Amino acid sequence: MATQAQLLPGTLDLLILRAVSLGPLHGYGILLRIGQISGNALLIEQGALYPGLFRLVRQGLLKASWGTSENNRRAKFYELTAAGRKRLREEADGWNRLAAAIASALATQPEEV
Amino acid sequence: MKFLAYFRSVAAKFLRRSRVENDVDDELRSHIENRADDLERSGLPRAEAERRARVEFGGYQKYKEEIRESLGAHFLETLVQDIRYAARMLRKSPGFAAVAVLTLALGIGANTAIFSLMDTVMFRLLPVQKPEQLMQVGMMTHGFGRSPRTIYTNPLWESLRARQDIFAGIFAWGNTQFNLASSGVAEDARGIYVSGSYFPTLGVRPAEGRLIAPDDDKRGCPGVAVLGYGFWQQHFGGAPVDGRTISINGHPFEIIGVSAAGFFGAEVGRAFDVAAPICSETIVEGKNSSLDQRSAWWFHVIARQKPGINNEQIMARLAVLSPRIFAETVPTNWKPSDQKRYLGWTLTALPAGTGISNLRSQYDLPLKTLMAIAGFVLLLACTNIASLMLARAASRSKEIGVRLALGASRPRLVRQLLTESVLLSCSGALLGILFAQWGSRLVVDYISTGRNKISLDLTLDSRVLIFTAAVAILTGLLFGVLPAFRATRVSLADAMKGTSSAKTQGDSRFRAGRWMVSAQLAISLVLVATTGLFVRSFANLVNLPVGFDRSNVLLANVDLHDAGQAGAQLATMREEMLRRVRALPGVISASESVMTPISGGVRDDFIVVDGPNAPKGDDRDVYLNYVTPDYFATLRSRLIEGRDFNAQDKAGAPQVAIVNQALARKFYRGIDPVGRAFRQYATATVLGPPFLIVGVTGDAKYDTLREDAPPTAYFPLAQTEGTVERASIEMRTETRAAQFAKPVEGTILGVSKSAAIQFTTLAQQVDDSLTQERLLATLSGFFGALALLLAMIGFYGVLAYVLLQRRKEIGIRMALGAQRDAILRLVMRELAMLLLAGVAAGLAITWATTRFVQSLLFDLPARDAMTFALSVALLAAVALAACWIPARRAMRVDPMVALRYE
Repeated sequence: MATQAQLLPGTLDLLILRAVSLGPLHGYGILLRIGQISGNALLIEQGALYPGLFRLVRQGLLKASWGTSENNRRAKFYELTAAGRKRLREEADGWNRLAAAIASALATQPEEV
Repeated sequence: MKFLAYFRSVAAKFLRRSRVENDVDDELRSHIENRADDLERSGLPRAEAERRARVEFGGYQKYKEEIRESLGAHFLETLVQDIRYAARMLRKSPGFAAVAVLTLALGIGANTAIFSLMDTVMFRLLPVQKPEQLMQVGMMTHGFGRSPRTIYTNPLWESLRARQDIFAGIFAWGNTQFNLASSGVAEDARGIYVSGSYFPTLGVRPAEGRLIAPDDDKRGCPGVAVLGYGFWQQHFGGAPVDGRTISINGHPFEIIGVSAAGFFGAEVGRAFDVAAPICSETIVEGKNSSLDQRSAWWFHVIARQKPGINNEQIMARLAVLSPRIFAETVPTNWKPSDQKRYLGWTLTALPAGTGISNLRSQYDLPLKTLMAIAGFVLLLACTNIASLMLARAASRSKEIGVRLALGASRPRLVRQLLTESVLLSCSGALLGILFAQWGSRLVVDYISTGRNKISLDLTLDSRVLIFTAAVAILTGLLFGVLPAFRATRVSLADAMKGTSSAKTQGDSRFRAGRWMVSAQLAISLVLVATTGLFVRSFANLVNLPVGFDRSNVLLANVDLHDAGQAGAQLATMREEMLRRVRALPGVISASESVMTPISGGVRDDFIVVDGPNAPKGDDRDVYLNYVTPDYFATLRSRLIEGRDFNAQDKAGAPQVAIVNQALARKFYRGIDPVGRAFRQYATATVLGPPFLIVGVTGDAKYDTLREDAPPTAYFPLAQTEGTVERASIEMRTETRAAQFAKPVEGTILGVSKSAAIQFTTLAQQVDDSLTQERLLATLSGFFGALALLLAMIGFYGVLAYVLLQRRKEIGIRMALGAQRDAILRLVMRELAMLLLAGVAAGLAITWATTRFVQSLLFDLPARDAMTFALSVALLAAVALAACWIPARRAMRVDPMVALRYE
């Protein structure tokens, strides 16, 4: 737990899209999935997820429908729309390029300059 | 697409607000429960699992708020929410809400009332077809004044009508007074003589029957009349008019129709009751008809622009037409030099979409002044409420602290508080509109006198409503901003502990409150000083020596025009009337004259005095009056020298005159005028026989109180040889003059059944000439008093609050041995500082602004030191009185109680 990292601004949306792309999930499920796929390395306050979810729905990237959770409770399930899928691809590419650039910059040794 | 989605979510938010809200709650709760389920499964007891789940979730309300934001429709949604919340908060403190709403209603109402008067008088378009096409046709007279002359003689109007070809239509009308009673006390109606083109050009429709058409306006026409809608409703109860007749100055006129509801004529403020064609003036006036007189100026002319013809084309055409038109209408009785100038006049056109109005020039500055005063009153109301709100902010600091702690952002809270202010000001505005409706009507009634009835259509129009709405919102923001920012500058810890007020931010809020007191003082001083100026100016006018005694004098204006008598018979009839009136019990003395003082009318002419130093040219003009013996005694004007007229000064006897001191000074320069003679022009160039001066009277005001008594000459009425059909009998009575009207009417009708009589009292007549000054004095007096009251409440409120905050400090001082006097000095010293600052600022503003009203003041400098000093003294007294109670309370603080207080 001590090694958890703060989320960079704007990255929560990307994580939500990624989590949902693996199959329809309710809000709590998304949180668990993000924990699982990120190796519990990220610190997210649980409630912070929801404004993001509603925003993505409004932007037409996610669609939501009520269903029943594995705990047998009523829950709202989210899945990607076509636009969401496209956005996820673009954002993932962008993120990968950025991460690669930063990683390469950080990996540079003094003698290489 | 995005927009559509947004729109849909806005609509959804509005239509199914609670459903969406529930949806969000359901989802968040489901999250927490799912989490609790998992935690329970990991071995926690259910209650603990649920608690943990809630903690992990974080700020529930905060996230809900963020969700709402991301859902769109946030602005309106929040607004509705805020308004509900604000209404709830105000319901919780009904006292504050009532005081604030009432204060604002008065402030905003005053502004709306004055603005609605300005709107009606100055800005509103006439309720006719395409009013923007209307133009008033006037004349540039080159030297007779800079603004165009706008009144016409009938020959000039007829010539213009015949020759003009640039307008789509042109019409003329002249104002007059119709007497609708067949005998006895006159029943005055506001009459207009209109050209046949009047109604067609304006595009007014009849409400009943038909309107006057061009065919009705031909020389020798029969008498027909059109009624104004309001008059028809009032006097005919809206009953059909076909075949009915109306008596105009004793002549039957057939009523042919009623003009449309809402149409009042082309003159704002003077709605017509009865309209008759111009040609019928000869029926009413007979041989006195002015239709062919080239120097009887009484018509107004308005034309309708042809579409596609611009102003330059109109001006150019009018310039071309002018020489012929003026050449064929030269006033033959004018001096040759004036005739020459007349030929050089040119016609011009001015926009007239808003009609014309005498009220505009008369009330332009007074209305603007009142508007400014009302603005200051509203500003004062704002500072008052702002300081109340500052005090409230302190008591609300805990609530605000809690909301901040729960995650509300400061801008969000400021917005919430501003919504509260605007809600207050809008409630005030709604009530204010009611006040305004009532108030503006009151003002119109106030300036409307028997002789000069003013009727204005004061229904609210969109301009007034927009004005009021803008004022309301601005007001709300104005008094809300400072308290809102102060209120939300709360230290969380202090707020929660509930100990905020005394030390930390309390002090800075406190400072704002103090400056509010100074601002209130400054604004009140401006209002009180302005009021002082108007009241003193009015008092100057009322207390002016006028040269006659106005109390207990009844005036009866008797028109014998329809008695069918002339010459000696008419004179005999008049003498008989006067004889009988004098014999009435309770009448001390009576006389008759052509003019009465301060009637607004003037008779003047040149007199010619021999001698090298005698005035020349226009300087020879003096005011005239024709009076019977006892005129000066009845009015209690002094006869300084010589004798009064007597029975021997009759027709055929040597012509005599009495002059006033002003005339003696100007024409005789220290030489005794009694026994000397002057002449008048019999025609434009030939002098008539001499008048022997037999007496000198004291100066008496003639047509207005505002000017010094003009040089005036009095002649015996008996020597006018029975040419006067209309004159006034003045009676000095033992008791209240008005109650003599009834017996006097009977007496006069006993001599001539067809006499038309108008009664007034001399005091009333003088009063009626002061409407503008009285209006300003009364209204500014009302506003001044309101300002004092607001200021008093303001001081009291702020000081009571401030001292309450300092209870602890005062308690400590007293515990340490400070004497009551010392505490009082402490409090008073602070108060004196605030007073000084406020007074200094107020004086500076007053100094800078009152000069704009100089022209409204009579015999008083706009920077009258006495008025300013009195205002400062009055305000200081009020401030001290308002502070007395809180200061006393502060002194009586029991140190123990004060120290335990927190």
